[in-house]
Amino acid sequence: MKFWIIAKKEILDITRDRRTMLMMVVLPLLLVPVLLGTVMKIDSFQKEKASEEPVKIRFVGKEYAPELYQAFVSTDKVAMLNQVPVDSINLYLEENFLDAAITVEKNHQSKINQNSQADIRIQYKGTDSFNIAREKIKSLLESSQEKIITERMARLNLKRGIVQAYNIEYIDVATKQEILGKMIGGWLPYIFILFGFMGAMYPALDLGSGEKERGTLETILSSPASRFDIVMGKFLVIMLAAFLTAFLALAGLMIGLSQISDIPPQILVVVNKMFNLKTMALIMTLVLPVSAFFSATLLGLSIYANSFKEAQSIAAPLNIAIVFIAVMGTLPGIELNALTAMIPILNVSLASKDIFGGSINPFYMVEVYLSLFGFAAISIILCTRAFNNERTLFRN
Amino acid sequence: MIKVKNLTKDFTLNKKQRKEMGDDFKDTKTLRAVDNISFECQPGRIFGLLGPNGAGKTTSLRMIATMLKPTSGSINVSSYDTVSDGQAVRGQIGFMTGQTALYDRLTPVEMVKYIADLHGMSKKKFQKRKDKIFNLLDMEGFADRRIARLSTGMKQKTSIARTIIHDPDVMIFDEPTSGLDVMASRAIVELIKSCREEGKTVIFSTHRMGEVNQVCDDIAMIYKGKLCYNNTLDQFKSEMTQPTFEEEFVHRVGKI
Repeated sequence: MKFWIIAKKEILDITRDRRTMLMMVVLPLLLVPVLLGTVMKIDSFQKEKASEEPVKIRFVGKEYAPELYQAFVSTDKVAMLNQVPVDSINLYLEENFLDAAITVEKNHQSKINQNSQADIRIQYKGTDSFNIAREKIKSLLESSQEKIITERMARLNLKRGIVQAYNIEYIDVATKQEILGKMIGGWLPYIFILFGFMGAMYPALDLGSGEKERGTLETILSSPASRFDIVMGKFLVIMLAAFLTAFLALAGLMIGLSQISDIPPQILVVVNKMFNLKTMALIMTLVLPVSAFFSATLLGLSIYANSFKEAQSIAAPLNIAIVFIAVMGTLPGIELNALTAMIPILNVSLASKDIFGGSINPFYMVEVYLSLFGFAAISIILCTRAFNNERTLFRN
Repeated sequence: MIKVKNLTKDFTLNKKQRKEMGDDFKDTKTLRAVDNISFECQPGRIFGLLGPNGAGKTTSLRMIATMLKPTSGSINVSSYDTVSDGQAVRGQIGFMTGQTALYDRLTPVEMVKYIADLHGMSKKKFQKRKDKIFNLLDMEGFADRRIARLSTGMKQKTSIARTIIHDPDVMIFDEPTSGLDVMASRAIVELIKSCREEGKTVIFSTHRMGEVNQVCDDIAMIYKGKLCYNNTLDQFKSEMTQPTFEEEFVHRVGKI
C-alpha cells in the first residue's frame, strides 16, 4: 500500500503548484465557457449583421430585363448600386464595396417571351461572407423563375409534370439527436481529449523528470517503497489530474452552453436530451481509460527525460499527434468498428460520436475500454521497467 | 553493519558519452566505476570513504543504498543482501547527500511525515520521534513553513530530520557537507558523531581530508574505482610518510 502514501504526497504537492492548478481547474472551467460564449456571440452577431444588411448589387442591363430588375428593387434585401462603372465591377467586388454584379443579355426579355433560356451572369467574391448574399440572390432569382415557368405552363396549357418527372420526398429516419450527436460528438471529444492530455502533461513532467531534476529522486529511491509503488503512486495522481481536467472541461462546456441564450428551442431540446446523466456517465467512462492511457505514456517519457525541458520537448509533438488522431474521428466514412475500436484516441473520438448520437454498439464499447486499459497497462509496465533501469534513472 | 565484498560496477557508455569523455574512451564500451573493492563498516564506528571527484564513492554508496545493482560482488547491510533483499535494506538505512534534495512545496513536517509513512512508522512513534528531532535541531520555528521559503541552513536541518526520522541502523552520507557553509557543515558533523554515539553504522564519503580527521574511525581510500587503502584512521596516521593528509593521499594514489 506504499503507492497510496506516494499518491497522497503527490496530490498535496501538485495541488500547491499554481501552474498545474491553472491548467487543471482554471483553464477548463473558465476558458471553455468563455471561448464558447465568445465564438457563439461573434458568430450570431456577424450573422445578424449580415442578414440585416442589404445585399449590394450592381445590375447591368436593367433596361433589358425590367421585370427581373423590379423583382430585385422591390425587396428591402437588396441595395442597387448602379452608379458603379461596369469596367470597375471587379475592383469593387475585390474591395468588398459590392457583394455581387448581375449582368443580363440584351435580348433577355425576348428570350423569356419566346420560352427560351436567358443567360444571367453573376460575379462575386467567393468568401464565407458571400453565403448570405448568395442565398438572398438565389431566392429572388428562383421566385422570379418560378413565376415565369408558371406563366409559360399556363400559356401552353401544360402540367407541372412535364418539366418535373419525379416528385421526390426525402424521409430521414435519423432522429434529430442522432444528427446533432454525430455533429457535436465529432468535435466534443477534442475538448476532453485535449484537456485530458494537457491535464496529465504538467503533473507527469513534474513527477517524473521534475523529480530527477530537483534531485529528490534519490530520497524516494532509498526509501522502502518498491519501484512499482513509486510508479503506481505517481501514475494514479497524474490520471486523477487528467480525469479531473477533462471532466471540468466538459463541465465548462455545459456552463458555456447554458449561458448561450440564442440557441433555437428545437435544438436546445435535443441538446438537453443529449447531455443527460446517462450519456455523460458513459462519456466519463471513456475519459477514465483515456486519462489512464495519457498518464502512463507521459509518465514513461517523463521518467526517461533528463530534465523538465527535455520532457516538454518530447511531449509537445505528442500533442499535435493527438489532435491529428482526434481529427480523423470527424472525417466522413470513418466509423467505430472492430478495428477502429482498438486504436487509442481515435476510438474515443468515434465512440463519443456514437454515444451522443444514441447509437453506441456495446460490443465496440467494451473493445474501446479493453484497448485503452490494455495500452495503459503496457505503458505502466514500461514505466516500471524504466524506473528499474539505472541508465534511465541516472542518465548523467 | 555493512559488508562489501569484491564489489565491481561497470557502466555501459553510449556513443555520445564516449565522445564527451574524450579520446581515452573512444573505443571503450564500458566504464568501470568501481573495481573489485571490499571493506566492512562496523556499528558504533564512522567509516570514511575518501577519494577525489569521480573516484567511485557515489556509485559505491548508491549500490549500498540499492539504487544501483553491482555488476559483480556483494553487499550486506544488517545481514540483508542489497540485491535479493533490497526493500529490507532500504528499511534499515538513512541516506543523505550533499544536495539538499527536498520537496519545495511541502513543509518540513510534511516532508518528514512522508518519509516516516514510507518506513511504516506508527502515528504515535512518529510524533514522539519528530518532536525529539525538531527540538534537537531547533526546527519548531519553521516546521510549518514551505520548504521553498526556507534558508539553506533550515533546509539542511530538514534534510537531516528526514534522514533520521525512522531511526535507521545504518547511515549513509554522500559528501553531506559539499556546498555548505561552516555552520551548516558543523551541524552535519555533529549529526554524524551523534550517530556513532547511538551505536549506528555510519559510512561517510568526502574529499575533504580535514573532516576525515575530525570524525572518522576507519577509512578507505578509493581512486579511479580501485581501493588503495583500508584500515583504521589511527593506523593510517601511524603509517603516514607525508606531512599532511592531502599529500599522503596524493602519494598513495600515485602508487596505483
